[in-house]
Amino acid sequence: MYYLIILLVYAAVDAIACLGLSQQFGVAGVTNFGFIIFQAAGAYVAAVLALPHDTADGGFQTYLGGFNLPFPLPWLGAAVVGGLLALPFTFLVGRRLRGDFAAVGLLVTAVLLNLLVMNYRPLFNGDAGVSLVPAPLQSGMFVGTSNGYQIGFGVAGLVMVVAVYWFLRRITESPYGRTLRAMRDNDKVADSLGKNLLALRTGAMVTGGAIAGLSGAVLVSFIGVWSPAAWSYAETIVLFTAVIIGGAGNHVGAVLGAVLVPVGFEEITRLISNNNPSLPPNLLPSLQWVAIGLLIVVFLWLRPQGVLPERKRVIRPAPAADQAVTESAPAARPGRLRPAAAAESEVLLAAEGVSKDFGGVHAVAGVSLSVARGTMTGLIGPNGAGKSTLLSLLAGTEKVSAGRISYAGQDITALPAYRRARLGLVRTFQLASEFKRLTVTENLLSAVPGHRGDSFTGALLGRRYWRGDETAAIDRAQALIEEFGLSAQANDYAGELSGGQRRLVEIMRALMTEPDLLLLDEPMAGVHPELARRIGRALAGLSQQGLTILMVEHELAIMDEFCDPVIVMAEGRVLAEGTMAQLRDRSEVVEAYLVG
Amino acid sequence: MSGETPMAETSIAQPILVATGVTAGYGGDPVIRDISVRVGAGQVVSVVGPNGSGKSTLLKAIVGLLRVSAGQVRMDGRDVTNALPEQLARAGVGYVPQVDDVFAPLTVRENLEMGGYLLPRGELAGRIEHVITVFPRLGGMLRRPAGKLSGGERKMLAMGRVLMLAPAVFLLDEPTASLAPAIARSLLEQQVASLAEAGAAVLIVEQRARAVLAVSDFTYVLGGGQLRMSGTPAELSASPAFVVSFLGGPPMSSQRA
Amino acid sequence: MGTALSVLLSAVGFGLITSAVLAIAAVGFTLQFAVTDVLNLAFAAVMTAGAFIAYLANQAGVPIWGAVVAAMAAGGLLSAALNYLVYSPFQRRGAAPITLVIVSLGMALIVEFGTAAIVGGVNVSYSMSQGRTIRLGGLILTTVQLTIIAISLVVMAGVHGLLRYTKLGKAMRATAANRMLARSCGIRAGQVIAITWTLTGALCGLAGAVFAIDVGSFNPSSTDIFLILILAAVFLGGPGNAYGAMLGALVIGLATEVSAAYIDPDYKYVVAFVALLAMLAVRPTGLLGART
Repeated sequence: MYYLIILLVYAAVDAIACLGLSQQFGVAGVTNFGFIIFQAAGAYVAAVLALPHDTADGGFQTYLGGFNLPFPLPWLGAAVVGGLLALPFTFLVGRRLRGDFAAVGLLVTAVLLNLLVMNYRPLFNGDAGVSLVPAPLQSGMFVGTSNGYQIGFGVAGLVMVVAVYWFLRRITESPYGRTLRAMRDNDKVADSLGKNLLALRTGAMVTGGAIAGLSGAVLVSFIGVWSPAAWSYAETIVLFTAVIIGGAGNHVGAVLGAVLVPVGFEEITRLISNNNPSLPPNLLPSLQWVAIGLLIVVFLWLRPQGVLPERKRVIRPAPAADQAVTESAPAARPGRLRPAAAAESEVLLAAEGVSKDFGGVHAVAGVSLSVARGTMTGLIGPNGAGKSTLLSLLAGTEKVSAGRISYAGQDITALPAYRRARLGLVRTFQLASEFKRLTVTENLLSAVPGHRGDSFTGALLGRRYWRGDETAAIDRAQALIEEFGLSAQANDYAGELSGGQRRLVEIMRALMTEPDLLLLDEPMAGVHPELARRIGRALAGLSQQGLTILMVEHELAIMDEFCDPVIVMAEGRVLAEGTMAQLRDRSEVVEAYLVG
Repeated sequence: MSGETPMAETSIAQPILVATGVTAGYGGDPVIRDISVRVGAGQVVSVVGPNGSGKSTLLKAIVGLLRVSAGQVRMDGRDVTNALPEQLARAGVGYVPQVDDVFAPLTVRENLEMGGYLLPRGELAGRIEHVITVFPRLGGMLRRPAGKLSGGERKMLAMGRVLMLAPAVFLLDEPTASLAPAIARSLLEQQVASLAEAGAAVLIVEQRARAVLAVSDFTYVLGGGQLRMSGTPAELSASPAFVVSFLGGPPMSSQRA
Repeated sequence: MGTALSVLLSAVGFGLITSAVLAIAAVGFTLQFAVTDVLNLAFAAVMTAGAFIAYLANQAGVPIWGAVVAAMAAGGLLSAALNYLVYSPFQRRGAAPITLVIVSLGMALIVEFGTAAIVGGVNVSYSMSQGRTIRLGGLILTTVQLTIIAISLVVMAGVHGLLRYTKLGKAMRATAANRMLARSCGIRAGQVIAITWTLTGALCGLAGAVFAIDVGSFNPSSTDIFLILILAAVFLGGPGNAYGAMLGALVIGLATEVSAAYIDPDYKYVVAFVALLAMLAVRPTGLLGART
């Protein structure tokens, strides 16, 4: 019986930890090789909060504090400290550091913190670690407690697993969770859609840290001791193995992985060594590590998605009654500024003397232009004319070297991309930028601004709190998908679509942000001519409803048909502006194209 | 250059590089369809067309950077369709990409040595001497890292690097992109022309149609991933359809001027 | 001579030896990364494996410097095998850099604990003489320590010569700078990469053996912390930059050992830790910039 309880508690601790790691790694895409630090911090904090103040017992151990706090304060404290400890680490994962470099930084941190704690005795008794940690609601350690208490503890562990699972599910299955997954798939694009990457990554680090801290608290209450040997950096690898095998991003998979890897391995090892007492003492633990290494490599090769892959979130069309309403509604009501009766000629976006140098090369050299509200303005020019760079400057993806950009009368030169996106100035990219492991519908939904469920607290408040926004967003998304003719693929992963379909997803996603001004970078590149015309017609329709569009495109037939005016750039400067017909008659334009 | 004398496509008497019916793309729909080009020794043959017409894609397909899904590429009669880049280098194809065309951390001399990687050790120094006679500017900057060169110097180095192996065919992908007009013109009129004068075949993709026509023996015009027209520079310059193919108008079928 | 000065000088002596060992490893690691694009966290485990091969050879009667050569061979073979069997297949499949880092961690476990399973987890030492003690100014070093420093200097000179003056070395740099263009020049990039794994693997084995000689007694997990020093040296100098790695090794080796003379020696690695994190936070391309 006691043995079963031990198994159960270990399984619960590992499951809680793996859930936290799965949230960071599988959902948010943050590779935290220092994960074990947070479990360790939780364990130490829970220990010193529960231990008595007199460092006594013959003074054989020393530790910071000793607060003698009653349950559940030590566990709560562990979770809080685990979460807070994540904050200093966000400087590694929050900035645009290569993912593998950041991971190395975290690994190194884990190793060195272990070394520090091991050698600095006053903190947590150094190498020997803290011991005699009382079990919750008891004065002594877990070992001496009654059968009933132990069963109760095991059940409590299970309840905690369920609680953590429920908590994470609430986050992951919310619009906020969708945003985390979008960031995981393509952080640069998430940024351009107005998502605050630093805040999102900090959130993932703090959530995972708090959960890891909690797992440490449960563990130390159970085993009663905690020392640096219990949290070597290799323990992080064990947890990663569990999550990879179970299925990163699938929380049930994380629990399964916890049972299969750390718990399963301990048990197999114990069984083998019990039956073969003559084996060298070091052999089995070594082979166990070898097996863990093999499992990582073999699984990443054969089944990188894990035993239980991340679930696809299928979103069905709303019931028929709702649909009747949406069909009569316009597909997209563009505009957040929404001035009821804006004059046609009003300038929405203006650039004055905007320049951009790349190491001495003037990619954009003193461009001044204005885009009038409600127009569909084309931007053309030979290769290297600076069109894409100009678009990046207008969207805030790149910073200007000189000049001023104003939008709706406001100077936005200094605003970062996500702030401009929030003002309704939204861009698309030249290269494919769909969120690969989100469905088409989810790709669209991820772009909805001001969604009540797209924040940590909004997610925690639950579906009831954000359902209204979600339903409305789904209706709009489905109407758009239908208008662009992708209904059959609405629940396919965007990464599985053809090149042309991906461009559609990107344009639709940009439209979901309710932009006032859409900056499109070669939206028809690589798209079948038939599809290109359909995109053009859909955009023209939106433009008539008040959406302003500035579009870089080299297919001049598209310009002829849909864009007025068209701006010609060459060598970083604006050369001419007019209708395509007018431009064709201007010799400098002809020369720009022929001379290049 | 024989731009004055009208020249039919068949006048490329002994073509070295022949691409027939090439269709290729980046995995999805093909970007170029059914394109045939050929170039013979001592000739400059250019491929022009507006942005996105598939010029660079054609070149990448020929040099094995993109998969050719239909059609054939032959070098000296040998089938080299979908050959690896290192195999094409050995077969006498010298490719100068549009960007990332030099080894930036390596010095100019080291770049040239890499260009001559396949040469026997004894010939390296002599070949570098030769390249410097073709691109004299490089002679004064042999110890400078390639990343520190100006745009024009960098392009000369890229061409010089390819020249090291004295390839039978040069494939140049928009060599004048991001160069100032005067430098672009001199690069085309002097260096590119001199490659052909030395007996090599040059297939050049260019954005600057006017400038490249002036040094071409024969020109293909691409549009929308297909061959729109082809002919000698004189024929093309005389054709109103040529301008239309750049700045749009009624759709054109593939036709000769 | 004052006590303070002699403490400093002896710390500098230790620092130079640590730097010498570290430089061999860091240069191997950074070249591996530059040319092959794999941030190989199994590097330290391969070092240990090499050190143990040297131990087995040494036990079988091979003199220590011959055993060091065996370690180099073992490191080269093992690294080439890692590339051929594991990393290269993952790369051909288009695995993300972070996936390869996780894979390399898995390989680190397999190599380190595979070694432990074979040789046992106990501490071993080479049977060798530490040689005479020599005074150089204020520095007191043994001939073995001097030999290690000399080997390291020879390796650094050799790497410099390889990269600057040989066809292979230039092809390695060309492949690191622009793999596609290298192939267009007729360079068989796959071959260059395989050779790079073998060469840097030999450096790795050498580093393992001289590390083991330096520390005196070692076990399969002895290089765990050393990996951190390697990473610190590599990132300090700029990942992929061989000269940066040499500079980084000198700085980290001296900083850890000299600080150990003044603060508790148990905390000497904190210096490396702070250096590494500061570089990642402020200037991820390192002091000398990325790539060779």
